[in-house]
Amino acid sequence: MALLEVRNLTMRFGGLVAVDDLSFDMESAQITSIIGPNGAGKTTVFNCLTGFYTATSGSMLLTAGLDTFHLEKMAGYKIARDAGIARTFQNIRLFPQMTVLENLLVAQHKSLMRASMWSISGLLGLPAWKRAEFGAIEFAQEWLDKIGLLNRANLDAESLPYGDQRKLEIARAMCTKPRLLCLDEPAAGLNPTESRELNQLLNDIREHSGVGLLLIEHDMNVVMEISDQVIVLDYGSKIASGSPASVRKDPAVIRAYLGDEYTKWDGD
Amino acid sequence: MRPSHLSLLKNALIASAVSAVLMIPLIGIYTVQETGGLSIKTRFPEVSLAVLYVFVGRFSIDLSAIGKTPLAVFGGLVLILLGTISAESNSLLGVAGIGGGAVVVLLVLWNSGGSGVQETVQNHIQKVSAWLTSGRQSQFGFALIILLILFPFFPFTDRWTLDLAILVMTYVLLGWGLNIVVGLAGLLDLGYVAFYAVGAYSFALLAFYYDLGFWVCLPAGAALAALLGILLGFPVLRLRGDYLAIVTLGFGEMIRIVLINWVELTKGPNGISGIPKPTFMGLEFRRRSTEGVETFHQFFDLPYRSIDRVIFLFYITLGLVILANWFIKKIRTLPIGRAWEALREDEIASRALGLNPTNIKLSAFALGAMFGGVAGTLFATRQGFVSPESFTFIESAIILSVVVLGGMGSQAGVAIAALILIGLPEWFRELEHYRMLSFGALMVLIMAWRPRGLLSRRSPTVVLHPDQSKEKPIGLANGPS
Repeated sequence: MALLEVRNLTMRFGGLVAVDDLSFDMESAQITSIIGPNGAGKTTVFNCLTGFYTATSGSMLLTAGLDTFHLEKMAGYKIARDAGIARTFQNIRLFPQMTVLENLLVAQHKSLMRASMWSISGLLGLPAWKRAEFGAIEFAQEWLDKIGLLNRANLDAESLPYGDQRKLEIARAMCTKPRLLCLDEPAAGLNPTESRELNQLLNDIREHSGVGLLLIEHDMNVVMEISDQVIVLDYGSKIASGSPASVRKDPAVIRAYLGDEYTKWDGD
Repeated sequence: MRPSHLSLLKNALIASAVSAVLMIPLIGIYTVQETGGLSIKTRFPEVSLAVLYVFVGRFSIDLSAIGKTPLAVFGGLVLILLGTISAESNSLLGVAGIGGGAVVVLLVLWNSGGSGVQETVQNHIQKVSAWLTSGRQSQFGFALIILLILFPFFPFTDRWTLDLAILVMTYVLLGWGLNIVVGLAGLLDLGYVAFYAVGAYSFALLAFYYDLGFWVCLPAGAALAALLGILLGFPVLRLRGDYLAIVTLGFGEMIRIVLINWVELTKGPNGISGIPKPTFMGLEFRRRSTEGVETFHQFFDLPYRSIDRVIFLFYITLGLVILANWFIKKIRTLPIGRAWEALREDEIASRALGLNPTNIKLSAFALGAMFGGVAGTLFATRQGFVSPESFTFIESAIILSVVVLGGMGSQAGVAIAALILIGLPEWFRELEHYRMLSFGALMVLIMAWRPRGLLSRRSPTVVLHPDQSKEKPIGLANGPS
């Protein structure tokens, strides 16, 4: 059973059809990329999935073990909290005046809130709460180590360079312990080195955490190198999908998005 | 290129002209009550003197800018001299001259001291504010508590000072409560006085109708205010910024107008008097008690002193302030506190991380309101009388100023701001109707000097220590100041 099944997803804004009858499946521990020209409806798909928009019609079903979640009927914060879909944003949305570590602790709100018994045992400083907090900090540290920000844990998030902010946003999303991670243009604005590091990080997440990754990306180096599946949108509808290799050769995709010179691209 | 003396003269003349335009209607014309109605009189000599002040002041400051320090200081001294002379005929002109001259001299010295002096001063300020927000000042806090405990027994402490101290501490509580809503959760609340009123009136009404005492009404007032905080929270959940401010402003006014108009319950504008004072383990602080009940001084076999009651209220307030400080410091480092701040920083990102904005906002409103309720109960018992007049919009504005001047989110800053904004105007009562003028000037000065509040540095709720970070996580910071 697929992790996420999207069926006939349609989103209309007045007369504008932003997403038109889109269906796709994606699996755990796989990377699915959505590509397409600007205005193709990629971010709208994300916003429907994560509950920021209510889809006009269609269904989105997330299956995890015995639990199934009908995302189209859930409030945004519940999709994140209960269904376990975490996301990042095209324009980075950290908590700028909180420290790096605090950003990662906010992401663990659900488990920490329960451990602090809605603040009661936290106020009393009971051992169970202290253990939980210790564990949360340790978990945050693991991620800081992974993205190389351990020695900047106490700095304000806004003081980090752009590339580190991107990585921190991904780490923060992972700290919610999600089943599905949606990344909106994670490579935007990164230099080639940072972009390579990003590829490593995403591969690492796929291999070690078993999380399904859904990403929107314009950087074809990232998309072609790490994706298991690519979905191409144009004017809200799916014009192609499949492995990176097959999509790259699809005439419709070349016409709509990639352009002629891209057919010569050889994968390095 | 350095400006020539001529251009300095030009600047000073322009400044004088502007001040003349302002001062001719403000100072130059006044009305006098005479038989047959008001008549208009003029006092142009005073206006010309004031304009002269501006000329000398502006010229001296400009002189110091081109390096003529001695001449500039001389200008400041001339101003002081002019002020001293005119003080005999007009005290305000005297104050303005002497004060203005002093400011000019200080400013000139500040400028001429060069970056060295300025940096040193700035550094010291930085250090003090860093220390105050670092959470390492526990010894200082401890000393402060001891000092406050001994406060009623200092030789200079009289009933009036104690009463003022209670008032200041009440505002500290209000400031901290509002700080949860505005400073931490980032929800601009202009109607905070509503919760203050609910606390005060719930005590007044419970005492009046059901004969309940302070110790029952304190938690009751807090709980009712918190409940009202949640009720207010629901309709404004979707609002932010300016829109939220307007709705909360309306809410504050609604409570006051209900209190005025529901005459059967609240006695309307007449207010409710005879609110009981707190009792010590059931012992009253009175000279003679109602029959068969012992009073405090009888029970302990002490001579009766009327100030004991005030001292007792002082200690209750102090206790509540210490408790509130502990509570807010603690809760800020808990998940709920971080969630408040996350919501302030970015609500969309918070939602994407699974935070429920409804619950988080409501909890901020409820807890903030709770402190308002506690402060209201204290206010009612201190005054012994409540009326809707005490809960006008200006109260909300003052509490908000305490929070903003103190530095949003900073406990120590808010306490200092409460002392400055509530304490100083009371001490400066001699200034009479210039009191509010100086209050405004002070606020302008603080905001010009420290636009983000006295202590604007935010201390992290949790700190990873660098030396240990390789092995294990550690320790939490002591929390905010």
